Amino acid sequence: MKQRITYLLEENDAEVGPEQIQVQDNSLSIHDLYGAKEHRVTLGLDELPQELRLVLNQCHELRIRWASQFLYAGLSPFTSRVSPGLHVFYTPRRKGHDAQICQLLGRVFGNELACESVERSFINVPILSERFSSTASFQYYSLWPSLKKFVTYVEHAVHESQQAKIRSLLDVNQLDVDCDIISHACILNAYWAEPTGNKHWKELIETKKTSGTLEVGILTNEKPLEPEELSLSGVLAVVGEDDRPKATKFSFPSRHHPVPASDLPTYFYTHIKSPAGLHPTLQLTFPSGTKSLIPPNPSCALHAHLTLPSTLLIDKYQLQDPLFLSSQRLRRLHSVAGETDLEAPNWAISRWGSAVLLELAHPSAPPSTPQDGATAGAEAGAGAETAAAAAAADWTVSIPLHLRYLEPRANASGMSAVDVPWPVVFWACAAEEGTKMGMNPFDRTNLGYDGLFGTRTMFYHVPPAVQAAALVERVPVPVLDLGRARYVELGTVVAVVVGFAWVVWKLLAVGGKEGERAQGVKGE
Amino acid sequence: MDRFWSNSRLVFGSAVLLRVALLGFGILQDNYSPVKYTDIDYFVFTDAARYVATGRSPYMRDTYRYTPLLAWMLYPTAWGGIWFLFGKLLFAFGDIIAGGFVYRILRDGADMPPARALKFTSIWILNPMVAQISTRGSSEGLLGMIIMALLWSVLQKRIVLAGCLLGFAVHLKIYPFIYAASIIWWLNESASAQTSGKHTRSPSTGLLVSLLKFCNRSRILLALSSAITFFSLNVVMYALYGRPFLEHTYFYHLTRTDHRHNFSPYNILLYLQASPETQSNVHLERLAFLPQLSLALVVIPLALARRDLPSTMLAQTFAFVTFNKVCTSQYFLWYMMFLPFYLSSSSLLRNPQVGIVALVVWVLGQAVWIQQAYQLEFLGQSTFVPGLWLSSIAFFLVDIWLLGIIIADVGQQSTRVEYDKSRAKKMS
Repeated sequence: MKQRITYLLEENDAEVGPEQIQVQDNSLSIHDLYGAKEHRVTLGLDELPQELRLVLNQCHELRIRWASQFLYAGLSPFTSRVSPGLHVFYTPRRKGHDAQICQLLGRVFGNELACESVERSFINVPILSERFSSTASFQYYSLWPSLKKFVTYVEHAVHESQQAKIRSLLDVNQLDVDCDIISHACILNAYWAEPTGNKHWKELIETKKTSGTLEVGILTNEKPLEPEELSLSGVLAVVGEDDRPKATKFSFPSRHHPVPASDLPTYFYTHIKSPAGLHPTLQLTFPSGTKSLIPPNPSCALHAHLTLPSTLLIDKYQLQDPLFLSSQRLRRLHSVAGETDLEAPNWAISRWGSAVLLELAHPSAPPSTPQDGATAGAEAGAGAETAAAAAAADWTVSIPLHLRYLEPRANASGMSAVDVPWPVVFWACAAEEGTKMGMNPFDRTNLGYDGLFGTRTMFYHVPPAVQAAALVERVPVPVLDLGRARYVELGTVVAVVVGFAWVVWKLLAVGGKEGERAQGVKGE
Repeated sequence: MDRFWSNSRLVFGSAVLLRVALLGFGILQDNYSPVKYTDIDYFVFTDAARYVATGRSPYMRDTYRYTPLLAWMLYPTAWGGIWFLFGKLLFAFGDIIAGGFVYRILRDGADMPPARALKFTSIWILNPMVAQISTRGSSEGLLGMIIMALLWSVLQKRIVLAGCLLGFAVHLKIYPFIYAASIIWWLNESASAQTSGKHTRSPSTGLLVSLLKFCNRSRILLALSSAITFFSLNVVMYALYGRPFLEHTYFYHLTRTDHRHNFSPYNILLYLQASPETQSNVHLERLAFLPQLSLALVVIPLALARRDLPSTMLAQTFAFVTFNKVCTSQYFLWYMMFLPFYLSSSSLLRNPQVGIVALVVWVLGQAVWIQQAYQLEFLGQSTFVPGLWLSSIAFFLVDIWLLGIIIADVGQQSTRVEYDKSRAKKMS
């Protein structure tokens, strides 16, 4: 076992006094620290309970990303995000082998998880190029709001003395688990955006000689020299080895960055345009976006990565027409994977849904494509005149979605609802040749969208709006009300039988006349 | 005005102009508005044509549920640019040719004066709904051409041609198989007196004799030519595209139970039955084909076909669409193309009050349904029950009432004589 605990302080909280960190023989205590915290635990597969080990031995890799649906800040280098919920990325050791991942997930996260088998519940992850890909091949997702079951499971697995510590996982904002067969290990990565419970971190971190190294760092962001880099400074201490914290400063290239600071903060919020109907529109609004939405460098393109439950889908054919796309302030559909059947009702869908990557238009680049230069020119002309008036207007992007038919419901006044998580929004930019992102000690990959870009892509993450209550939107869905549908069966049958009888009677009347006429002919 | 109606070139010229204008309007709208004039299905067809043009299967396009032949017919649209219009031109051309056949049948078959025939033909060719559907890129116009050519060749007794067209039409859209029944029943060429009741020795030989009598030359020719056309097209398509061809062209349409709201009276019942939560043991919807096919395929042809073949085909199509498990407004075109033949001698025109009421309730029935569907689809109100269900049942009953009128009208007629007369006249 190996542990690394990192406290990340905001620049104005960066002064760390000696009383705030005290190193003893086999322990280290923290007082009055305010900031984010990451706790990283590396475990060999043989340190895990047998039931996990058996399954993990069948996996080439298993990567779990969980994010809370409540808003939290992502302080650099922890700026990368996934949509709230439980994301599982998996590559089997042998092609086509299931390894009973769903059973494992059920046991660890809760049996209510709608996961049957890899074949019936996971989707194939689209990747840019199989050869160079470092991303997993199957993906599962669930809007799983709580880690309660997970924490209980881990509590049972650890020594009694550790259980109190484990309970702090209930307040975690992000949790990553990375297991792979090559390193023969699992890495658990928990992230708290701010101190739990009380206002400050107050912790006693202990270790035993037998339980492996434990490194603690208290770091602050520095201004990096290179645009690809992040720079951190602060103190580091290895518990049980160092007798006092050592000052440190280091820089590394990073895949994930915050959007560059400017006068107007860049952020977005998501809402469903009302009335939603059966074709809800997911709108992403960037407040004052016409001013604040500036690409970090000219190579950047604005993207939204959507994780859509099976109840919702996008129509890739609808998102092909440049005129339609620009009217929604979209540029193109980059990729869509998973359940894309345009007609199937929700009960005919077994897999969790679909993952969609869209490129969005942004104010400094007109949404229209070059070939309709005429309209773009006209728009630009009109834009110049009203530029002053619309100095910092909001920028809203619309993503047209479609609802599947949902199961009829009893006593629900004919309404059902589906929850859709907020997407992840970022600028994707090209990095310098030869940038080695893997050197980053805080690197984070397998987020669902990074595999769709080249390995030397940088992501500048646009954070969700601070006033957001939860990063999940609820869409009302009209369904058949079973309470009022009792007469439908009988009524339809009666109508059809009456209609049929009426037509047959009319036909018999015709036949009757024919008979009369035939007799008349004979009579002649 | 009289001069207009007496000049077939003027009438057909205006039909062409109407379509050209709509095509032009469509180009403008498609190029300058995010809301497209072109029908979604046309994008499906042209995407499939692009697959076919690059040697791939048209079924790589989701929701392409037609014969690959259609994609092949639209091959030029794969060249891009202005060629995108090729299919729309083909469909619009098809519906004008269909109008041409309607006119010929009214003139030669029903012996109608030119001006009157043109007026009735205009119900189809100058109908803005028809012109719009074709120019938006729906294939119904092409189907119309084949069906009208089929009717024309049957009435002209060009049996082999008729059989080929029938086989092709079924390959294209399945439902025209119902016409086989009325055409076969209509083709009792020599009901001459020489074989009257005298030969009957026992009931079984009597049955055999009437069966032999029934299998006359025309009927055998029609059956053979249509079967050969249908099956050879299928064999070729199967050889080229394998199981997906059968899957999408036929099985999909036979097994589909469309749960999304549409005009069918069965719609809400299907939604109710399809969902796993309401698994009931009685699957009434599986019996839906019984009233539909017994009327369209058996009773209507038997009762009416020998009186007036075109109007019988109208009644068959009307019954088929009305009792179908899925029904969209595009299906209304299937029976509208037969209206010129029927209306010319119908009580709806003889008694305009009934005619106007019929038109109004038919339109109103749809309007009420559409209003409910709009509230559901765009405002998100749960109008499945009672609104949508009641309006679809009401529209069904309106259709039943209209079907009753059509049947009674055809029953009044002895049009058979008219068509025979004209043919006799020509032959002599």
